[in-house]
Amino acid sequence: MTTLIQTLSNRVRNMASRSPWIYRINAGSCNGCDVECATTALIPRYDVERLGCQYCGSPRHADIVLITGPLTARVKDAVMRVYAEVPEPKVTVAVGVCPISGGIFRDGYAVHAPIDQHLPVDVNVPGCPPRPQAIIEGIAQAIAIWRERL
Amino acid sequence: MNYVKTLIRNLIRGPSTVAYPFGPAWTPVHFRGRVEFKLSSCTACRACEQVCAPGAIRFDKTPEGLRFMLWHNTCVFCGLCEYYCPTDAIRQTDDWHMAHATANQYQMAIREVIPYVSCSACGTKALASAPNPVGVIPPFSAEEIEQQRNLCPGCRKTALAERGVTK
Repeated sequence: MTTLIQTLSNRVRNMASRSPWIYRINAGSCNGCDVECATTALIPRYDVERLGCQYCGSPRHADIVLITGPLTARVKDAVMRVYAEVPEPKVTVAVGVCPISGGIFRDGYAVHAPIDQHLPVDVNVPGCPPRPQAIIEGIAQAIAIWRERL
Repeated sequence: MNYVKTLIRNLIRGPSTVAYPFGPAWTPVHFRGRVEFKLSSCTACRACEQVCAPGAIRFDKTPEGLRFMLWHNTCVFCGLCEYYCPTDAIRQTDDWHMAHATANQYQMAIREVIPYVSCSACGTKALASAPNPVGVIPPFSAEEIEQQRNLCPGCRKTALAERGVTK
């Protein structure tokens, strides 16, 4: 019985590691990185679904979280609440320079950047905005981390 | 019957998806990517620090000399530093492969020190930066740049006046 459960859970783990679901959080972004994230997923030229990824609408279904924006003071509580709803194990990708360091909003009074002092970030994708291929590169690194965590 | 035409055309053309990350990706010719710094051409004029919108470029005084620092995780790749650099010491490449693990985020920086030297003419402590080429006609030769590098600002002025250049 134990062997059966173990085999099944291994099987599920192998299957799940090939299809992580992606959730996007906009932490006060200017929308530039969000457009690039949407481009990465939606237009056939870039097509992130080749990596087995799919964007999902609910944080509770997500495996990989893409965060854009410098975490503005107004949106901070909402972001922390939504991020807490993503089940473990999760991998966080900071898209654009804003969540990594604040970018041009660095040291601003209305932003709480860098975001890694509030939540754990695993992969950084610098750029303002990063090009879709760079986001795909970051997601590929995130998938590798996620496979280890699963 | 239009769809048959489209079908055949698409079969001939092949997929429109870029193969990356399983194959190479196309990069535009003038793509503004990772910044490169050439220490030997820097005049330490600090124009790049002045124009840098997100404050990614910083100059610090250290005991060894003037330290140039650029953190790629703040850089927004606007290209102003390259535009205002009088000697092309700072240049943007078309490299966009910058995704990295967060553990390595502080290695995504350029740190270079322009050392102090003692002036070869008067012996005062001065920065061994390249001479400013703006308005110098005829332009500096390679030997002249090396001579100027070992002079203090005052002796550089004297040397330029002897050379007969109106700046």
